[in-house]
Amino acid sequence: MINQQPTIKALIAEDEPILALTLQRMLGRLWPELDLSNVVENGIEAVHTALDRLPDVLFLDIKMPGKTGLEVAQELAEEWPAEQPFPMIVYVTAYDEFAIKAFETCAVDYVLKPVSEERLQKTVRRLQSHFQARVPNTSDQRNPESELERVIAQLRELHQIAHPQTGAQNIPVAEKLAVIRAAVGNNIRLIPVEEVIYFEATDKYINVVTAEHSSLIRSSLRELLPQLDSSLFWQIHRSTVVNVKRVKMAHKDEAGKITLTLKNSEDKLTVSRVYAHLFKQM
Amino acid sequence: MGLVQQLSNQWQRSLQVIPHSLLRKLISEIPRLLLINLFCTLLVTFVLRNGSSIFENWVFSNAIGLCCYVLIRSVSYYLWRATPPTMLAFYLLSIVLAPIGFVFGSMIAATLFSYPITSVLRFQSRFISAFVALTCLISVVATWSFWNKIKIAELIANAEKEKARTAAIERQAMQAQLQLLQAQIEPHMLFNTLANLQGLIAIDPERAQHMLTQLIVYLRATLSTSRAENTCLKQEFILIEAYLDLIAIRMGKRLRYTLNLPLELEQEKIPPMLLQPLVENAIKHGLEPKIEGGTINISASKEADSLRLEVRDTGLGLPFNYQDVPFSTESTQVGNANIRERLFALFGEKAAFSLMSHVPEGAVAIVTLPLSA
Repeated sequence: MINQQPTIKALIAEDEPILALTLQRMLGRLWPELDLSNVVENGIEAVHTALDRLPDVLFLDIKMPGKTGLEVAQELAEEWPAEQPFPMIVYVTAYDEFAIKAFETCAVDYVLKPVSEERLQKTVRRLQSHFQARVPNTSDQRNPESELERVIAQLRELHQIAHPQTGAQNIPVAEKLAVIRAAVGNNIRLIPVEEVIYFEATDKYINVVTAEHSSLIRSSLRELLPQLDSSLFWQIHRSTVVNVKRVKMAHKDEAGKITLTLKNSEDKLTVSRVYAHLFKQM
Repeated sequence: MGLVQQLSNQWQRSLQVIPHSLLRKLISEIPRLLLINLFCTLLVTFVLRNGSSIFENWVFSNAIGLCCYVLIRSVSYYLWRATPPTMLAFYLLSIVLAPIGFVFGSMIAATLFSYPITSVLRFQSRFISAFVALTCLISVVATWSFWNKIKIAELIANAEKEKARTAAIERQAMQAQLQLLQAQIEPHMLFNTLANLQGLIAIDPERAQHMLTQLIVYLRATLSTSRAENTCLKQEFILIEAYLDLIAIRMGKRLRYTLNLPLELEQEKIPPMLLQPLVENAIKHGLEPKIEGGTINISASKEADSLRLEVRDTGLGLPFNYQDVPFSTESTQVGNANIRERLFALFGEKAAFSLMSHVPEGAVAIVTLPLSA
C-alpha cells in the first residue's frame, strides 16, 4: 500500500448492539485497513456523526429509531458539503421482501442480516476497487460529484416506488385532502388546500403557511404527502412541500443552489439537491 | 277456520318431538284434507243434490278423501321415495288414483253405515260420472294445494340448510384466516433474531445458548397456541417472556421489562394470541422506534369477577386517544378492531378492550375478560 493513501473511514449505523459489533468484527477481518471507529445506534446520530466525521463508507441499517437508513441517506445528500466526495452507501436490512425488490431495481448496494461473510466480501471488494480507482485522480472533482449524483438518482427512484414498509401505514391509496384542519387554541381552522403556499415539517409538527397565517398540524410529511395532489404540491426538500401555483420564480446561484420566491409571501424556500431536477427548464 | 289453523298449529307443535319427518309431514296435512272433504260434502249436498243427508255425505266425503289421500301418498312414496316427483307426474298419478279412491272410499263408508255395498255402488253408479269427475277435480285441486305446500316447505328447508352451510363455511374461513394470521411469525423479526444469534455465537456463546433456548420456546409456543383453542395464562406468560427476552437481547439496554402474574391466576384460560399481539405492538410501535427505548410491564389481575390484563409501555405513545376515535380508519386500528371483534365473538358484552395514552408517556392496553372458573 502507498504510504500517503489516506485511511478509508467507515460509519456503521445500527440500533442493535450485537449486530453493530458483529458487522464491525466481520469488516475488521475482511478489510483490516478500514477505520471502523465510528459506530452509532440511531438515525439522528448517524446524520450528525457523518456530517462531523465525513466518512467514506456508510453502512446504514434500514430500520432504526429516529430516522430510517433511507432518510439518513437523503438528509446527507442534501446537507453534504459540496467540496467533499460523497460517501459510498451500503444498506443493511433484515428480511424485507419489499426493500430487497426496491434495492434490486435501483441497483443499490445492500447486505442482508444475518450477514453472510461471503456476501460482505463481495461488497468489500467492490468498495475497495471503487476507492482504488478514485485515489489516482483525487484532483478530479467530477468523480466524487458523480457518486452524489448516483445516490440522488437512486433515492429519487426509491421514492417513486412508494414505500409501504417504511412506517406503519399500509393505507391503500389515501384520499386526497380538500381541507386542512389545524388546531388554533380551542378552535379548528379549516384551510382549503389550494390556499396553502407551502408545508414545512419540524420535529413533530407541520407548519401550514397561507397568505394570511401559518398554523401547526400534528403530522409528518410521510403521512401528509400521499394525501396531497402530487401535480400541485411538490416536495422540494426533505422537510418542505410547496404549492407550485404559488411559486413565482426559481433562482439558481453560482454554486448551483436553487431558491424559490413565492407569490403572496416574502418567504424564500431552498430546493435541495435531491429535488433540483424539478426546476430544470422544459 | 281460525280454530282449525290453531289446532293444526298445536298439532304441529306437539308433533315436533316426533323425529320421523315423513310422518310429521303427513299428519300436518290432515287439517287441510278435512277442510277439502268438508267442501266436497257441501258441494255434493247442495250442488249435486244426491238426496242424501249432509251427515251421510260428510262421512262419504271423508272416506273417499282419505282413501284418495292415502292412495296418492303411498303410491307416490313407493314410486319416488325421497326424491320429489315432477309436478306433471304427480298430477297424472292423482287423476288415475282418484276413481280408485272413490270406489274404496264409498265401500268403507257403506260398511260404516252397514249399507249393502253393492246397492251403494249401484246407487253411486247413477251419479258415477259426476262423482268421478268431481273426485278427479277435487284431487287435482287438492294435489295442487298440497304440492304447493310441499314445494314451499322444501324451498324453506333448502334455504335454511344453505344459510346454515354458508354461515358454517364463513365461520371456518374466518377461523382459518385468524389462525394463519396468528401463526405468522414476522420474517423480519425472525431474521433479525437469527442475525443476533449469529453474532452472539462468536461474541458470547453462553448468551447465544440462552437466546437459542428462548427462540425455541417462542417458536414452539407461537406455533402450538395458534392451533389450540384455549391457552392458560401461565403458558401465555412463558411465551411473552421468551419473546421479550429475545427483543431485550436485540435492543440491549434500551429495553426493560417486567411480568406480573399472580399464582392463583396461572391456570386461567384465555384465548391464544390475544395478549401477545398487544405486547408485540407495544414493542413495534412504542419502544423499538423510540431512541432512548423504555419499559414495558405486563400484568394480570383479578377484579371482582373478571380478569384484567394490562400491557403498559413508556414508548412513543399513540398519535391520539383511540377511545376518542372509535371508527378511525388508521391502519393500526385494524389490529385493534380485530381484537374487539374477537372478544365480542367469544364473550359478548362481558369482555372489553381499550388502548389509551399512558401518562406521562407511552400507551396502555387493557383487556377485561370474564374469569373462566
